[in-house]
Amino acid sequence: MKKIKDERLVLQNLKNIRIAFIIQTIGIIGILAYDLITKGFDGMRDNPLWMVFMITGIVTAYLSMNISVDHEEESKSPKRGLVISLSVVGAISIVIGLLVSITDGYNVLDGVLMGGILLACGLVPVIYIYFLRKKRQDDI
Amino acid sequence: MKNNVKIARVQVNLTQQQLAEKIGVTRQTISLIEKGKYNPTLKLCLDICYTVNKTLDEIFWIEKGSDESEKD
Repeated sequence: MKKIKDERLVLQNLKNIRIAFIIQTIGIIGILAYDLITKGFDGMRDNPLWMVFMITGIVTAYLSMNISVDHEEESKSPKRGLVISLSVVGAISIVIGLLVSITDGYNVLDGVLMGGILLACGLVPVIYIYFLRKKRQDDI
Repeated sequence: MKNNVKIARVQVNLTQQQLAEKIGVTRQTISLIEKGKYNPTLKLCLDICYTVNKTLDEIFWIEKGSDESEKD
């Protein structure tokens, strides 16, 4: 089969893939919903499709950051955004960590661990957004 | 989008198929461009212009506002 070079057909092909993706996603959601009803939440999460669904969601979220950074107002300075986001993520992690450590049955180590995990999870998108904004600013 | 691709193509004695082969697209794409049903990229517009020995504005220029009813 020859590689398609015609730009119109390439574009059409992408649109077709989008339709296929929508159908696939509907199918995955349907199967997961069926599992949720018949086996409950834990049963649904045992299904490997749950992992596929979550990874796809995360990848989509990261890819759409690329678009939202271009879409937002120019006035925001990347450094200021980074500081605000970091303080919010830090504050949330500390509060959750504290709440976990004072909960019965958990000790301080659990609180530190929980807060640390939240901080790490929050840091990745915040830093990614910072680099995207910085790159966009340098591009002008 | 209205354009003069068909006129320019006939002037240099090319069929849709020949023009398509020279540029490296399908005949259907040329047909849709001539009918104004496909909006080609700038790169494809330039390729068409090089092939029929015309400039971009000779083939694709339209006066502002004259094409509002056909926007896609």
